[in-house]
Amino acid sequence: MSAPENQDPRFDKAAFGDDQLVDAHEKALAPASDDHAHYKLGPLLLLFALSGCVLYSAMYVIHYSGHFSPLIFDENAVPSSSTAVVKVDPIAQGKRLFNSAGACFTCHQPTGQGIPGTYPPLAGSEWVNGPDERIIRILLYGLTGPLQVKGTAFPGAAPMPSFGPAGFNWSDEKIAAVLSYVRQEWGNKALAVDAAKVAQIRQQVGERKAWTQDELLQVK
Amino acid sequence: MKSGPLFFLGLAAAFGFSFAGIVIGSNAQLGRQAPFYDDSEGVSFPARLPGSAAAGQLAYRDLGCASCHTQQVRRAGFGSDVDRGWGDRQSVARDYIYQTHVQLGWSRTGPDLTNIAGRKPSAPDAGDLMRLLYGGQGAMPAYSFLFEDRKIVGQVSDDALRLAGRLEPAPGRQIVPTDRARELVDYLLSLNTTYDYPEAQPAPAVHPAPEAHPAPVAHPAPAAGGEAKK
Amino acid sequence: MIPAATHPLAGPPASAQPDSDRGPGRCVLLFMLGSGMLWLVLSAVLALISSIQVHSPQYLSDLEFLTHGRAQALAETAFVYGWIGNCGPALALWILCRLAGEPLRPSRWAGTGAFFWNLGVAIGLAGIAFGGVTAIPMLELPRYVQPLLFASYAAVALAGVTAWTGRRREVMFASHWYAVAALFLFPWLFSVAQVMLLWFPVRGVLQAVVAGWFAQGLWTLWIAPLALAGAYYVVPRVSGKVLPAYDTAALGFWCLLVLGAWTGGRHLIGGPAPAWIATVAIGASVILLFHYIVVFTNLRPGFAGGATSLRFIAFGVAAYVLGGLVDGVTAIRGVAVLTQFTHFDEAQRQFALHGAATMMLFGTLYFALPRIAGRPWASRGLVRGHFALYALGILLLAFCLGTAGWIQGSALNDPKTAFADIAILTRGWLLGATAAQTLLLAADIFLAVNFFTTLACAPQGGDKEGAP
Repeated sequence: MSAPENQDPRFDKAAFGDDQLVDAHEKALAPASDDHAHYKLGPLLLLFALSGCVLYSAMYVIHYSGHFSPLIFDENAVPSSSTAVVKVDPIAQGKRLFNSAGACFTCHQPTGQGIPGTYPPLAGSEWVNGPDERIIRILLYGLTGPLQVKGTAFPGAAPMPSFGPAGFNWSDEKIAAVLSYVRQEWGNKALAVDAAKVAQIRQQVGERKAWTQDELLQVK
Repeated sequence: MKSGPLFFLGLAAAFGFSFAGIVIGSNAQLGRQAPFYDDSEGVSFPARLPGSAAAGQLAYRDLGCASCHTQQVRRAGFGSDVDRGWGDRQSVARDYIYQTHVQLGWSRTGPDLTNIAGRKPSAPDAGDLMRLLYGGQGAMPAYSFLFEDRKIVGQVSDDALRLAGRLEPAPGRQIVPTDRARELVDYLLSLNTTYDYPEAQPAPAVHPAPEAHPAPVAHPAPAAGGEAKK
Repeated sequence: MIPAATHPLAGPPASAQPDSDRGPGRCVLLFMLGSGMLWLVLSAVLALISSIQVHSPQYLSDLEFLTHGRAQALAETAFVYGWIGNCGPALALWILCRLAGEPLRPSRWAGTGAFFWNLGVAIGLAGIAFGGVTAIPMLELPRYVQPLLFASYAAVALAGVTAWTGRRREVMFASHWYAVAALFLFPWLFSVAQVMLLWFPVRGVLQAVVAGWFAQGLWTLWIAPLALAGAYYVVPRVSGKVLPAYDTAALGFWCLLVLGAWTGGRHLIGGPAPAWIATVAIGASVILLFHYIVVFTNLRPGFAGGATSLRFIAFGVAAYVLGGLVDGVTAIRGVAVLTQFTHFDEAQRQFALHGAATMMLFGTLYFALPRIAGRPWASRGLVRGHFALYALGILLLAFCLGTAGWIQGSALNDPKTAFADIAILTRGWLLGATAAQTLLLAADIFLAVNFFTTLACAPQGGDKEGAP
């Protein structure tokens, strides 16, 4: 069966009619005779190709599926097997609280340096790095009057507001989180604060007005 | 293949296979995804779009902004999205649940817009965006048809754009945004997805606080990516 | 020509073969093909405008109806729904009728369907231009026009399915499978996408998942089968050779159908959808490589010989297989991180739609039209010119857009490169892409002129030749 000569680009002659086309291909599907024990390499290679593709694909899918979890967005991650409660990272939460609207950063600045003469710095401050009983009290009840921080005097014209029941009414967890953040940021190296301790101090002290520096220094 | 009905059945099954797997499967997983309630902040995230911004989303879709801008941040380490300041973390499914027409985009001729209202160090404000829309910049065309060139009657309007140079209108005239421009800008200014959902944590853990008891928050344990080991 | 009597597989004598191209069916097919030509030229103009706007954004930016987002949507819709939506089903119908040995029935249904399809596309394009674009890739038409398109398509497909079920011989050929699959599956794909994205939109990111599934399904379950139906039909008929690996053709077919739409998740690599969707898509893309191997092995005879239709189809098959391999490679995450969201992705799309599918449709068209219209194509020069310009145009387009995309991707992934610089780096290549679009437009005009000139002369009616 030779191809017809197709010289004229305006019309292509066909070699097969439609019925012949279908018949010829049906014949091609019929099993070949075994007379010559003919071995065809082509189909075997295609079979290998298909198997190879399927194998690679299966390995890839199993490895990177994230166990088909709807909450895995990184293909390298695996679902955590613990059924424990979600632990919120207090440092990240504390950072968010510090920087939230109307909160700490407006006075103490995002750099923790404060404003000289008005708002004391938190970076390197002995109040921040000292015993947490003091700093928890400052947050729960506020601070008034003159203050000495890192050798500099702050006259106290702008008192520290209360973040406890008399003021912004933050929960123990929020206070512990923001204090833990402040105590490890900008070069501070103090231990984190426990929400349970905040609760204990809140209950122990009860209601009171803002602390002064002298009262705080007597607290151990 | 000889049998007609069997062939049809085969076609239906082949189609149904991908439909069931991708469409039905993902819908079963995420179709009713709820917002995330944060105990310590007392609100759910994400928030719904306010009215003007919702109208602005239709304008965004209408003008085909998705043909040049994406609204999806890829995770740190997969491309430079986080390094460019387009977002702090990878975008996750929960970020989009209250968007009526999700416009993830397919091309980055222009920058990603997921967190345009939260860009650091400084995010654009309404005036900046209006000027950008009116005059275009770089590869972005000008959308002057979103603005009106009006005669100044009495005082200059509060909404009039502050323009300089070649964009300045003729003396005695002012450029005022139409409602569509206002809505579009309101929508753009609402694009800020910073809340850290549990599933959005990157694979390597953040600094754990020494000796701190993490605040336990009572949620059913989702599969957190935070525990991943490479 | 080989005399029928001495042909080893000679069938019944020529005069006894039913004339499948006489009667009203012929007019319907010519209407569809003619409309397709016009949409093709229009889409080329819009694509040129869109291409200019990428490197010169102020071009026509005052015109709201041609703002870049809309111009791109218009070009894509006119091409996919106007050109492929007319030419593909028309040629599929013709092939099914020829293989069935029957004339086109019911032609009134098909004619009405074709008319309303074109009306729907026209209304849809006006809707996109004046504010109803859906911003869903491959489904940009406003939602109010989509049910009309669905109903018209069903009417046209009815004719095709009737031709298939009414065939005189029970055995099926590869073209049958592909043509029937395309005609049958499009309405399902289309209706599911419409319902889940436009009428009762699913929540959040699922819209992107369904949109990706739809776009990929449209390519693998509709456009590619329409093109392959023609290729499988024309190659053996013109070359005179039985397809070499025909026993694997069925496997290749089912591979495409079963896995095609699964690859939709590749658009969500790194995106806000669960990772398993992208992973499964990548797995499917790897197995799909087998389909391309089968198509290449089977359609190899098309590469020999200089017949017009074979030249087009050979180019189309080569582009299809090469495009498929590149698709497989770019689906891998390590490569996708570079090529996602860039002009490279666009280059792949254009190469597949224009270089692969459209070239195969052109080949089938060059074979079919003389038999439908009853006379050969009008002009030699236009035929040769069309091939040269189109082939050159698509190669230049793919090369320029691909290079631009690669540069853009590398620059995007370097956080120090400012965005404004990326536009400067790629500008030269994008100008090349615009030049390529001009070549494609010229080629399309050549084809349209040739087509309408051929029809303008009085047709002699019936087959050009009584014998095959």
